Amino acid sequence: MNDLRYRWRMRFLSAAVIAALAGLSVRLVFLHLGPNEALRRKIVKTRRVERRLRGGRGRIFDRRGEIMALDVAVKNVCADPKLLHESGSLQAVALRLARLLEMEPAVLLARLDLPRRRFAYVKRHVPPEVGEMIRRMKLQGVFFQDDVARYYPHDQLMCHVVGFVNMERVGSAGVEQKLDRYLKGTPGLLVSERDGRRRELYDRRTVEVPASAGADVYLTLDVELQYMVEKALDEAVSENAAKGAWAIVERVRTGEILAMASRPAFNPNEFRKSDPESMRNRAIAYVYEPGSTFKLAVIAAALNEGLVTADEVIDCENGVWMYRGRPLRDYHAHGRLSVADVLKKSSNIGAAKIALRLGPERLDRYLRAFGFGRRTGVGLPGEQAGILHPPRAWSALSITRIAMGHEVAVTALQMLEMACAIANGGYLMRPYVVRRVVDWRGRELMAAEPRVVARPIREATADLMRRLMVRVTEPGGTGWRAALAGYRVAGKTGTAQKPVRGGYSRTADVASFVGFLPAEDPELGIIVVVDEPQPRHTGGAVAAPVFRKIAEQAVRYLDIRSPGGRGGGLETDT
Amino acid sequence: MWKTTSILIGAVLILISLGIVMLGSTSLVQAQMNFHDPLFFVKRQIMWLLVGVLISLFLSRVDYEVFGRPAVAWFLYAFSVALLAAVLGWGVTVNGSTRWLGLGPLRMQPSEFAKFGVVVFLAWWLANMRRRVMRFWEGIAVPLGALGLVAGLVFLEPDFGTSMVIGAVGFAVVFAAGARIGNLLLAGTLGLTFFSVAVMRNAERMRRIIAFMNPQKYARNEAFQLLNAIYAFVIGGATGVGLGQSLQKRYYLPEAHTDFIFAIIGEELGVAGSLLVLTLFAAIFVCGIRISRRAPTHFGYLLGFGMTLTITLQALVNIGVVTGCLPTKGLPLPFISFGGSNLVVCMAMVGILVSIARAAGEQDGRPPEARAIRDRVHRI
Repeated sequence: MNDLRYRWRMRFLSAAVIAALAGLSVRLVFLHLGPNEALRRKIVKTRRVERRLRGGRGRIFDRRGEIMALDVAVKNVCADPKLLHESGSLQAVALRLARLLEMEPAVLLARLDLPRRRFAYVKRHVPPEVGEMIRRMKLQGVFFQDDVARYYPHDQLMCHVVGFVNMERVGSAGVEQKLDRYLKGTPGLLVSERDGRRRELYDRRTVEVPASAGADVYLTLDVELQYMVEKALDEAVSENAAKGAWAIVERVRTGEILAMASRPAFNPNEFRKSDPESMRNRAIAYVYEPGSTFKLAVIAAALNEGLVTADEVIDCENGVWMYRGRPLRDYHAHGRLSVADVLKKSSNIGAAKIALRLGPERLDRYLRAFGFGRRTGVGLPGEQAGILHPPRAWSALSITRIAMGHEVAVTALQMLEMACAIANGGYLMRPYVVRRVVDWRGRELMAAEPRVVARPIREATADLMRRLMVRVTEPGGTGWRAALAGYRVAGKTGTAQKPVRGGYSRTADVASFVGFLPAEDPELGIIVVVDEPQPRHTGGAVAAPVFRKIAEQAVRYLDIRSPGGRGGGLETDT
Repeated sequence: MWKTTSILIGAVLILISLGIVMLGSTSLVQAQMNFHDPLFFVKRQIMWLLVGVLISLFLSRVDYEVFGRPAVAWFLYAFSVALLAAVLGWGVTVNGSTRWLGLGPLRMQPSEFAKFGVVVFLAWWLANMRRRVMRFWEGIAVPLGALGLVAGLVFLEPDFGTSMVIGAVGFAVVFAAGARIGNLLLAGTLGLTFFSVAVMRNAERMRRIIAFMNPQKYARNEAFQLLNAIYAFVIGGATGVGLGQSLQKRYYLPEAHTDFIFAIIGEELGVAGSLLVLTLFAAIFVCGIRISRRAPTHFGYLLGFGMTLTITLQALVNIGVVTGCLPTKGLPLPFISFGGSNLVVCMAMVGILVSIARAAGEQDGRPPEARAIRDRVHRI
């Protein structure tokens, strides 16, 4: 039997409950349907994951298909410092890892001694085998990331041309930098959502465009030839106690660079530990006063203009010529020399007199036609234009100085291009290091064609110059050490005192030799520059032997025969 | 009465079905991660569901007056207290709370059983006292003392939410039975003061309450769950994101398959889903009250009221927490949240309500004089 007097109490309570239910339904409707667009957008936005996917970087090959740069899978060894700290195994783990990874234990310990952090790199870019060894040790709090690293199988070889990528995998030197946009590939896109622990949810990906791999780059350089050149340079540097040395080998007819080397060099696999000075590609970035090699351009210009003939005799003033109150000296005193002998004996006075016949305007025009004062456009970063002042900025003495390769500054590549233009019937070619770029589907994205940049001299002048240049390497010429059995070699020596404050150094020289062979039908142009050789310092004594060493191996390797059956190839044992 | 009972049972069945579906939706990933069996939680819940069905079928066929016997009422109460004391002594601790008793591979939650025991004891005591509830000892001191003991033991576990629900339901039953309002007010004020002081002495509870006041400020820590529960409804909007498509259950709501399952319902099924659940609980409440009011005895009346209120109040507090109307506390949503003890106890209560309804229906068929009494009751 119910107690009727208290029925109102139950109704009261029921009403309260019903009111609460009604209140909740209002709240629910408000949450679901209320004006929450801004909040909804904000929530969705914080949960959205938008990631760019990196594509594999293209490879770099030499002209024969040898791999110079490629991507390899590596491991990043990571650790959870908090866990290590709490489990008390920090010391032991750091010690074992340091021993295996060849790191300083104290350095690693300092890096991991962060009791509140949950993540730290132990070492990045560890080879997979080493990663596997660590994994087998089953260390608590040590884990791995998959990563990709750039690897240069030939280490130092061809380092200046190939270049390297930085830790963000952006090309930072050489071809890696210049052709980054081809090599890096197209990044992909991933749009997804993340869970409450900020991990991406595979099943909620809405956009997944895979990255496409970068294109492969084929160089004009040949790794074998490059090796020969670098070896010759290393020997030259140590024999002459030089500060540096650089050399270029170019195919005369096309402008393809077959080898380009510079000392000091670096290992691109360890670019972070390398001296920045060693990363300079001196063959294109070192600007120097060329000295006598520059006479080639002056004499070629005068011959081309018909102002002199090869046989014309010039008074070389017995070694000292007063011009406008200033003495001009020759290294060896000469009396009267033909134009041909001015080149052969490298007379400064003779060259100055020839330049005076040309006059500043005409000389300047020829020098610029030979490519001095501007970049060759070889397609490498860091190339310098050299220094060639316009004639209005010249002093009265300038023309006599320029004739002997002072008051101008050039790069080795510019000098070589000038010599190759003489070798190539007067056609100045654009030099290049990249033959073609091929994407992952095999489509050719870029193919280099030989290109004529200018024609500073006539064919006849070029022929004559070639004959004159051969005399330089004949007995009695300054470059006799460049001569090669079985071949005619055309060339020119250069020895320039380095400019120092207020004048020229008496001890520091740049010795060089530029030339080509076979002289009758030139195939290869080669320049060798040695920086501050000691104690011998002339181009003939220092650079010419290096030239010969490179040329000798190059003709055999490339099977270049001397025209007219004068030996050639491997049969030059007469 | 048949119609009321059908609606009650129908509402419960819909909630249970929805509960199993939503448990599947919310727990598959976590179950796979933690137990290498995606159906780990679903299987357990279905097992408890079978237990619950058997118990409720049994109770619906037994005369509810069995619980009105002094020995049974006293036993249930004493057993509740003993179990709660055992939890404090030998309970299993999870997340800093000791709420479970281990029985081999199974675990049961004595506080759930205590909800049942306290309501039975109070209904029996108050029905037995009749007019004497007006007195201080019989109407206030003994029932509220008994209530306070149980609520206090649950509070010590600590289980703030359940303790509050037990206290509120018991208080409502005492109030409905006719205790003096003046006394009740006094006791209520005393109880609330005690409660507040106890809460404030607990740093963690206090932080939760402060976080509740300033959710944005504590968005990364204390209020993370709270805000993410609210976000679930906002994301769900009108139509919901679709069954199984919830993002909030992916570690944004750590208790997605238990205390915060209602938020996932709102996210996946939209406004229709969450209002359906609310409507079903309203239906259970209305049916439960109707049944109680027509109970043939005063004991049945108080018992039915207490049980209806136990189920509904849990739902109210749970939904209130999830929608951000109340500070966070761990309380399951009856019939839906994962958890065996709660499911079995709630189903047992439904069984008893059905038993009361059956008795009320039989009374409808009794001779006129019996019905006359009931009619007079109605008129007043």
